[in-house]
Amino acid sequence: MGLGLLASKAIRPTTRLINFQNPNNLFLRTIVSKPELRNPEPAAAQPEQPLVDLSPRTPVGGARVHFPNPDDAIEVFVDGFPVKIPKGFSVLQACEVAGVDIPRFCYHSRLSIAGNCRMCLVEVEKSPKPVASCAMPALPGMKIKTDTPVAKKAREGVMEFLLMNHPLDCPICDQGGECDLQDQSMAFGSDRGRFTEMKRSVVDKNLGPLVKTVMTRCIQCTRCVRFASEVAGVQDLGMLGRGSGEEIGTYVEKLMTSELSGNVIDICPVGALTSKPFAFKARNWELKNTETIDVTDAVGSNIRIDSRGPEVMRIVPRLNEDINEEWISDKTRFCYDGLKRQRLNDPMIRGPDGRFKPVNWREALSVVAEVAHQVKPEEIVGISGKLSDAESMIVLKDFLNRLGSNNVWGEGIGVNTNADLRSGYIMNTSIAGLEKADAFLLVGTQPRVEAAMVNARIRKTVTVNQAKVGYIGPATDFNYDNQHLGTGPQTLIDIAEGRHPFSKIISNAKHPVIIVGGGIFERKDQDAIFAAVETIAKQGNVVRSDWNGLNVLLLHAAQAAALDLGLVPQSENSLESAKFVYLMGADDTNLDKIPKDAFVVYQGHHGDKSVYRANVILPAAAFSEKEGIYENTEGCTQQTWPAVPTVGDSRDDWKIIRALSEVAEVRLPYDTIGGVRARLRTVAPNLVQIDEREPAALPSSLRPTFTQKMDPTPFGVAVENFYMTDAITRASKIMAQCSAMLLKK
Amino acid sequence: MASVVKSIIDGVKEKGLGGFFRHLKNEGYLRCLPDGNLLQTKIHNIGATLVGVDKFGNKYYEKTENTQYGRHRWVEYAEKTRYNASQVPAEWHGWLHFITDHTGDEVKFVCFLNLFPWKYHMLRKYKPHYNICNEFVLQLLLLKPKRYGVEHKENLSGHGEEFIYHSKGHALNPGQRNWTRYQPWQSTNEP
Repeated sequence: MGLGLLASKAIRPTTRLINFQNPNNLFLRTIVSKPELRNPEPAAAQPEQPLVDLSPRTPVGGARVHFPNPDDAIEVFVDGFPVKIPKGFSVLQACEVAGVDIPRFCYHSRLSIAGNCRMCLVEVEKSPKPVASCAMPALPGMKIKTDTPVAKKAREGVMEFLLMNHPLDCPICDQGGECDLQDQSMAFGSDRGRFTEMKRSVVDKNLGPLVKTVMTRCIQCTRCVRFASEVAGVQDLGMLGRGSGEEIGTYVEKLMTSELSGNVIDICPVGALTSKPFAFKARNWELKNTETIDVTDAVGSNIRIDSRGPEVMRIVPRLNEDINEEWISDKTRFCYDGLKRQRLNDPMIRGPDGRFKPVNWREALSVVAEVAHQVKPEEIVGISGKLSDAESMIVLKDFLNRLGSNNVWGEGIGVNTNADLRSGYIMNTSIAGLEKADAFLLVGTQPRVEAAMVNARIRKTVTVNQAKVGYIGPATDFNYDNQHLGTGPQTLIDIAEGRHPFSKIISNAKHPVIIVGGGIFERKDQDAIFAAVETIAKQGNVVRSDWNGLNVLLLHAAQAAALDLGLVPQSENSLESAKFVYLMGADDTNLDKIPKDAFVVYQGHHGDKSVYRANVILPAAAFSEKEGIYENTEGCTQQTWPAVPTVGDSRDDWKIIRALSEVAEVRLPYDTIGGVRARLRTVAPNLVQIDEREPAALPSSLRPTFTQKMDPTPFGVAVENFYMTDAITRASKIMAQCSAMLLKK
Repeated sequence: MASVVKSIIDGVKEKGLGGFFRHLKNEGYLRCLPDGNLLQTKIHNIGATLVGVDKFGNKYYEKTENTQYGRHRWVEYAEKTRYNASQVPAEWHGWLHFITDHTGDEVKFVCFLNLFPWKYHMLRKYKPHYNICNEFVLQLLLLKPKRYGVEHKENLSGHGEEFIYHSKGHALNPGQRNWTRYQPWQSTNEP
């Protein structure tokens, strides 16, 4: 059989079909995919529709409906299925509650409603035209039909218009595989197009080192514009032009200077905004997803690490309404290339010539154990770093205690910090609880750089509740309205004594919130400052039975757990008289304080600052490579999961110290991570209740009174450079680029 | 015995004493004393026909009478001290292992004809017993493909680290890809 015969056989039935269905206009090409969509009739009103399936359906994404006022519940019918929704819900939300997923591009539940993509058209009974469900409020008794020929044809039409100017470059597009337009055109689009003209092309914009733009792909959903102005609080992005000349861009040639700019990559439904560092590195279906948490700040944002083989390819946010909603900061998102650079992969000993020589673990541990036994117990000092997990901190403390020393503390915790009252160092309001507040007093904290996600909550509260924000500290930039009350503790005393106008705002507020920066812990007069804050809280009725507005915003991921475990320096100059210093990832300790003749062990994952002072280097695993418990600033315990294997010969932190304890003949009694957690449970039971926030039991007013004199020096800046705060971010090239281009540092 | 003595005397006469001694050494007769295997091969060779010599100098013998079937073809390796089966090149392998009756030289000849087909008249001249049919068989048996074949190489495993054969993806292949996906910290004295 010849090829031509085969082809004609294959073609003939189709031609006959076309002839049969469309006898009059044989050459007219139609766009709709199914014959019944050619001339759709609005669905007839069927009052007595026989309802077959009335079993409760699961809402889209397991969404729960919260009824603020039970009387306001209204009932609508989605495809004949009755659902109860609160008043004020849109048609789209009603459909979601009914378990019907409406296609959408411009609608995003956390942003304002634009209603310009028209993809969410549904048919509503007695309405002459299909309605945009995201912008239409649901009315009682409304009969919504999402699966009728009218709705289907409307979607096909919208999809055809969207695809008219969308380039067909999915094979080289980074969004390919996770693209809303791709998915929805497969599900709701037509199987052919009629467009034969030239497509529109748009000049790409330069949004900085993080966000790559391919503006020709943009479908003008304006999600990024709304995100920038509503959530990130920067007015950088906007819409220019009208009609087919419409473009998203920065109005003038300008970079996007927001610490949350990476989130526009996630909310962009097409590949117009993609990650610049991730561009052309991997396809999303070849990545392994590991749900873990972030350690670059004290918020503990929920993230998903996408890895391929031994390499972290990207970090994306994970939904957690209580902590980070669905955003993460740029530092969290783009620090991952730091995990691949400057890694310590072998135990090393510094030779007499001052150069490091790689050795095996046995040698390195025996050298450390020998020195640890040669010095006096009180000359031993251990410091845990910013990124240490709770397990390694308790093991370090146990180890040094067995050697006879109690000089063990966490970085960023000053002498005699009060670690006894948990309410004195965690965020008592909880991050989600900040949304209720109507007045903020920020004492020595710049939340925008210290904890960008907390700052996003404060911004949300300020825009929604019109909350007043007062700030005491050095001049800094906020992305919401604020009053700069002063720079030093003097202003704090003024407010405490009622002389300052802001004290009235606090006492008048229903839900006042005071946030004290974690940088205060480094000050010598921290007790006096806390006493002043305590006085303000007492006068403003900040701490009540139903509301606790007294918060401390910590700086590092390890700080809350370190304070829970009591890793607080006992005396002023134990480091100056030390002979044996064990630095467990401590890179921001003042190395000049360590005496010249001291033996320094550095255990960590990056060759950052402290390795240059170390005598022995023990390579450890980074947060992406180990199981570790971290407590965030609001006291919520969370756990990281290993996404990639450890590099070289490195080991988990707690295992190193456990092995060292055996070599040093002070064997610690646990061999597994379960054993270490059982030990954690005896010290701080809240640290083993994963994913639970344990509020402080006792109010901080139980704090003993101090008569310490307050130091009038102004509050300092705790985070000098938002993009480079710890060993991982300092090793990252992307972060270095960011701080050079965006912060001009 | 007399013939052996006669051939020795002939050899000495022809080459001189030193030359004869060198000849003995090259042919491996001196190695016969410690290497019984070689001695046995040498004894086998008496009365056998030398079928061909390959490009490495290995000699291929055949003796059809008074030998056990299956032991009537053998090779005397050119290398007298360190020999093994991998030194037999591909074109002779088939003949030696009774896969084919075409010797390595014939295979080479067909290779030559494939390269220079206009010299087919040589086929009739030098190999009159060939016909087109078994020439076709020979083409199938061509063990050295023209374009992508590589030169025969003996297996040197066991003669030092550098001689061990490692396939392309092997961890010890010097040309293998670097799969390290991180950059280790290089120790320097100053930050």
